[in-house]
Amino acid sequence: MHSINGASSLGSAFARTRLDRRTLLKAGAAGFGAAATASLLAACSGGSASSSSGTTTVRVWSWYTEQKDTLPKVIKDFEDKHPHIKVNLRIFGTPDQYLPALTAAVSGGDVPEIFAPHVRAITYGKQGISADLKKELGSDFLKDFFPAENQEYSDGDKQYALGWEAQTFGIFYNPELFAAAGVDGEPETWDDLIDVAQKVNATGKSSVAFSANPGTSALDFFLPLITQVTDDPTYFLKLDQLEKGYKWTNEPVVKALELNDRIVKANVFQKGTTGTSGDQATQLFYTGAAAMLFAGSWIPAGLIQNATPDFVKKYKIMKTPAIKTGARHWTADQAGAGFAVSETSKAKDAALEVLKYLYSPDVYSKLMNDSSSMPATQSAVDRVTSPQIKQMASWLPDGCPHIPFGAGSSASGDPLTKIFDQKASPADVAKQMQTAVVNARG
Amino acid sequence: MTTTMARPGQVPRTDRRPAAQQRRRRPAPIGKSFASFILIAIAAFTVFPLIWLVLTSLRPQNTIFTGPIFPTHLTFAAYPEAWVSTGFAVHFLNSLWITAATVAGVVIFASLAGYAFAKLRFPFKNVLYVALLATLMMPATSLIIPLYLQLRAIGLLNNQLGLLILYVSSSAPFSMFLMRAFFETLPDELVQAARVDGATELQVFRRVVLPLARPGMATVIIFQFLQTWNEFLYANTVLQDTGKLPLQPVLFSLMGQYNTDWPTLTAGLTMSIVPVILVYVWMQRQFVAGLTLGAVKN
Amino acid sequence: MSSQTISRGMPRRGSSTSGGSHLWRLQRSERLAGYVFSIPITVLFAVFVGWPIVFAIYLGFTSWSGFGSPTFTGFANYERMWNDPVARQAFITTIVYAIVTTVLQTVIPLFIAVLLNYVWSGLSVVIRTILFIPGIVSFVVSGVLWKLIYDPNLGTLNKALRGLGLDGLATNWLSNPATVLPAIIVVSLWGAIGTNMLIYFAGIQGVDPTYYEAAQIDGASRWQQFRFVTIPGLRVVTAIVVSLNLMNGFKVFDIIFVMTGGGPSHASEVFGTYLYSLAFGSTAGSIPQLGYGSAFSVIVMLLCGVAVAVQVFLTRRAQR
Repeated sequence: MHSINGASSLGSAFARTRLDRRTLLKAGAAGFGAAATASLLAACSGGSASSSSGTTTVRVWSWYTEQKDTLPKVIKDFEDKHPHIKVNLRIFGTPDQYLPALTAAVSGGDVPEIFAPHVRAITYGKQGISADLKKELGSDFLKDFFPAENQEYSDGDKQYALGWEAQTFGIFYNPELFAAAGVDGEPETWDDLIDVAQKVNATGKSSVAFSANPGTSALDFFLPLITQVTDDPTYFLKLDQLEKGYKWTNEPVVKALELNDRIVKANVFQKGTTGTSGDQATQLFYTGAAAMLFAGSWIPAGLIQNATPDFVKKYKIMKTPAIKTGARHWTADQAGAGFAVSETSKAKDAALEVLKYLYSPDVYSKLMNDSSSMPATQSAVDRVTSPQIKQMASWLPDGCPHIPFGAGSSASGDPLTKIFDQKASPADVAKQMQTAVVNARG
Repeated sequence: MTTTMARPGQVPRTDRRPAAQQRRRRPAPIGKSFASFILIAIAAFTVFPLIWLVLTSLRPQNTIFTGPIFPTHLTFAAYPEAWVSTGFAVHFLNSLWITAATVAGVVIFASLAGYAFAKLRFPFKNVLYVALLATLMMPATSLIIPLYLQLRAIGLLNNQLGLLILYVSSSAPFSMFLMRAFFETLPDELVQAARVDGATELQVFRRVVLPLARPGMATVIIFQFLQTWNEFLYANTVLQDTGKLPLQPVLFSLMGQYNTDWPTLTAGLTMSIVPVILVYVWMQRQFVAGLTLGAVKN
Repeated sequence: MSSQTISRGMPRRGSSTSGGSHLWRLQRSERLAGYVFSIPITVLFAVFVGWPIVFAIYLGFTSWSGFGSPTFTGFANYERMWNDPVARQAFITTIVYAIVTTVLQTVIPLFIAVLLNYVWSGLSVVIRTILFIPGIVSFVVSGVLWKLIYDPNLGTLNKALRGLGLDGLATNWLSNPATVLPAIIVVSLWGAIGTNMLIYFAGIQGVDPTYYEAAQIDGASRWQQFRFVTIPGLRVVTAIVVSLNLMNGFKVFDIIFVMTGGGPSHASEVFGTYLYSLAFGSTAGSIPQLGYGSAFSVIVMLLCGVAVAVQVFLTRRAQR
């Protein structure tokens, strides 16, 4: 290794009894230079071997804390069945704790064997970091997954990650607060929701608790509106990749922004959505400060943990409202949680073994049920035991995209928050989105 | 014989009392109560969030936000839960050894260098000093990737020793500035007198100067222990195997994106605060309380 | 090479009667010691701090997603920064935050450290320990704690205000652009009081009591003693505290990130948080922007250089 040269020139400098200025500077420069060279070279080199004396190590990195207690057991079962493979499971707390570690590992050329790709699945795939799982696992394997899960991770006929947990979004509501406000039944369209909100607001409660912080959470609400306006779930997929003719200033986008704007103006959401974090919004709901909550299928597990048992028994869930009566209730449904496999790691084959095991029908279904998560495969959804998850999974056929995978797309979240803050008009925001996305693409 | 501190020509009084008692004679009774009142008010403001922290660790989980301020139902269940589910013992020991070694390394290097910059003259001293200052000038987050690459090049990635070296390298300069400041308050004549008495530079440092630097060293020990004990970002990125992680990254992984297990988290945090308080109290008694520069007389 | 060759009775250094060779040997051993003592820290610095800083500065002139090699783009990042409205806002916020926190965190702890010298020593130790406790938890933890306290509906602050009948004051502390920065500054102050006070306290203890005696002999009152002995004796310490707080202010990240992530709508965005979100953040999207982010760290470094210049200036003055 090059650094050894640097170390030895320093060492010989120490060995000399006469330490003078020149020696010191030379030694320092040599050390500097050696370290610099070594590091630059390291940055370009490939991944490291991860096997020693016959056992292969497979690292699994994610932030899927909902399986913090259940996944280790499954992993242990796997290791018992495959004694020559050791699995290092690391579950970070949040994406913000996870992403620096992942970015550093990638820049050092040492990508974990199995990792949560976040929104980088496709870009990593194009750069050769994540493996093409269509090739590795075959189309048959992928058939069981919902189309949305496969689509979101695909580029052309290559697929760079597997959906681990599907999710759908809906509106959780508190029937007691509805009754107190004189609301009957569930609103079907956005106009109905606006009416409900007026009644609920009159009782002094907030209507829909929602977190528009960070800006990408706001996109969870807004992007499905584009599908609702166009009735075409592939529209956003093309916009996401900024394909020819697709711009954020196109008419469907502006129309969706206008709808969003109308909803905000009608005081459907609580004050200060852009300052409310995800768990704060949930707190508003289960402490009774808000009658409804717009969020996804991770909520039921969280409510069991944080809300009173009484509350857990009484809350209900309804579909995302449609744009008009009779229209489809398009709901956000892409998998926020997925797994990608490192293309460059020497333990790639072992990693694929681990994945196949995790997804084997009995193992996968049990794991999903034990952690109250929504599975990403049809066969596992059929075996879901939690009634809330079952209900939300039944909306998957009406699923549409809501995650900005494309290069620079997530920059559209910032201008979007201006709609929630009522600081800019829909037309302006559309222009700002286009500029921001183009800028962020670099 | 004291080194001369009074103005030239001043004859020191021979009947003065020890300095410590001297200081205590100065305050007047009225000033005392008023000062005490203010201090107690500030202390209350300061300590209240931490009381909340401990209280939260004693609540059942679903009363965190819905219950009253003072919980009606106390439970210690979170503590065993925190102990077991985070593998507290292992990570606690990791933190302990990494922090202790870091503090030791920093104190040694910072004292040596701080003294050199304060009292010794050598060429390029100022250049080096300014260069070392650069350590304090970069946000930590911007250095993660370069440091990761550096450690990787040297083969110390995913290695507690690598993290230790990283900590010492990036913290020693700050402690060095502290030590230098303290050394500068010591009179030059002290050093020169020792030299004249035939001591080597190292002896001067060890026997004469170092014992007087106790307040500085105590401060450095406390600061360094704190900073290292609480560090999260580098440890999280540089160490990959969970078994090697110190305490903080493990505790923070309890803060989920949507759900946080508050009682377990606060229980873990409360337990992790204990060693730091112990170090602080120990330092207080050893060095800071009742110290005087009367040692100069020796 | 050692000074053991010097016999007793030799005049002190600085005296004009010392022999030339003796002086040279003294200075040489002093120089040697100077280097030897500072070598460990310097070497570690060069490898683990110096080089990464150089690399980070270099990255500021490139575009890099973390994979492959960086592409050199010259000053493009800095141009982009100039035209980026978020960057401009963050710049102002960073400076304001740094200055306000420095002023508060220099004056108040000094005030407290002085008061501590004037109370019963037992109470002093207790108060010192209590005041120090916030510094014991990391800024991440205090950020989380205070976020809960500031919560508009469930937090103790608003609950207390409502309980006292001051409903009008109970606002959305962290989501109101007008109050978010002061709210965060309070948290920073809360955490910094103890540590800054400790430095001052040790500094006050370090002022030679013979100075006080001399002043007392001269008939100085307590207040005069404070003004003419304590304060000047604290000059160097104050210079350090000021420059450290300034630098921490310019570099701030943890506390703001945990409490607001830079929001609402970048109202509390500072360079530290912005650079993080560009490089790693969930909102950075599919391509980490390590090059652009590094450009921000270079600006922070320049700002810190100013803080250092301030310290050097104040220290020079203190040394008369």
